[in-house]
Amino acid sequence: MKPPPFAYVRAASVEEAVAKLREWEGEARLLAGGQSLVPLLNMRLARPACVVDVNRVEGLDGVHEEDGVVRIGALVRHATLELSPVIAATLPLLARMVRFVGDRQVRLRGTLGGSLAHADPTGELPLAAVALGATVTARGPGGIRELSAGELLEGPYATSLAGDEMITQVAFPARAGTVGAFAEVTRRHGDFAVLAVAAVGEPGADGAWRSVRIALGGVAGRPFHAAEASALAAGTHLEPDVVAAIGEACAGAAEPYSDIRASAEYRRHLIPVYVARVLAELARHRLEAAL
Amino acid sequence: MSERIAVSVTVNGEAVEREVEPRLLLADFIRHELGLHGTHVGCEQGVCGMCTVLVEGQPVKSCLMLAPQVDGLSVQTVESLAPGEELHPLQQAFRSAHALQCGYCTPAFLMTAYAIGERGVALDREAIREELAGVLCRCTGYQNIVDAVERYLGERGAGR
Repeated sequence: MKPPPFAYVRAASVEEAVAKLREWEGEARLLAGGQSLVPLLNMRLARPACVVDVNRVEGLDGVHEEDGVVRIGALVRHATLELSPVIAATLPLLARMVRFVGDRQVRLRGTLGGSLAHADPTGELPLAAVALGATVTARGPGGIRELSAGELLEGPYATSLAGDEMITQVAFPARAGTVGAFAEVTRRHGDFAVLAVAAVGEPGADGAWRSVRIALGGVAGRPFHAAEASALAAGTHLEPDVVAAIGEACAGAAEPYSDIRASAEYRRHLIPVYVARVLAELARHRLEAAL
Repeated sequence: MSERIAVSVTVNGEAVEREVEPRLLLADFIRHELGLHGTHVGCEQGVCGMCTVLVEGQPVKSCLMLAPQVDGLSVQTVESLAPGEELHPLQQAFRSAHALQCGYCTPAFLMTAYAIGERGVALDREAIREELAGVLCRCTGYQNIVDAVERYLGERGAGR
């Protein structure tokens, strides 16, 4: 199908984009990579009165690391993250997860800010932002504010952004000294995830784990950090009984749903299976890091 | 509500100017405004990849871009590969490897593979498959397409 009619504005700056959003009073949508918005327009599931194209806004395409924080501009394309030496060195889990997004064409266009604003519950990048403890900067008419990925992502395709706010930057704590692991289930290569699990942790010199964060996607209205389950890993060597308890706690924290890809029951069944696989991968990566 | 807006774009090396509705998809701009029917349209929701063209040398699905977005940019379609009678080496590789049956997906595979060649990096078979994963083919089972692209990239590397 074809999109319904709309007005088109090419914003030259964040200020202009925010002003346009305000002017259209919630009837305007920002167009970044367009890999989610344009299908919604084509299917007429979204019918904005105005599309504000932010692709020519300057200064939002940088990837920089300073003082242990990696700052990524909202318009950084997935393919840039995929190939960035800064990301490979400081956030290897993000570099790994971004390869699971869509396909080559999608990754060349799609942006980090757009992916977070779209808030797909199965999206790899919202999940990475939650797992890695990212902080999102949003600009509105009144200035900027910072919110955690968990505060941003409210539910399926819903964020806590006001209608006249725009994500400008995503900051990740550099994960030096930690290892990460990721797995997802898809019906087909490159399809939306049925379930996705990401984990990071810090292996201590004595072999015990610290600061483990496990996050799940596709099994609730939004990706979430399974905090209680993650706490069970602290100080352990991730022995089989610990892993089983973590898997159960993750399943308990999830609110799986049924859709065209899988039933809620199947999703619940997958949770402990894939949590165990990801934790086994975490342990393997620790051994590799130690070599 | 949707006033027509001016778009100036370089398509296959030629400057074109049109006034379009903002909602016009790049795929439809290429086909209906410019009459370049080599770019095919399938799902119109970014899944099948049929409409892949190059924008600033990068493969994109032209059903997921609005025509006004390419204002001031360059677009390359399959028509650019063989302007004369002779096939482009990539097209020749597809012919030799029997890499098409119905041919509907072929322009998209050609443009995606052409971009890989222009990047000039060596890719193994697995990586080629991953790079091509955004274009679907319902006839061939992909083996011959990967063969053709592998052959083309090999010849291209050898010729440099």
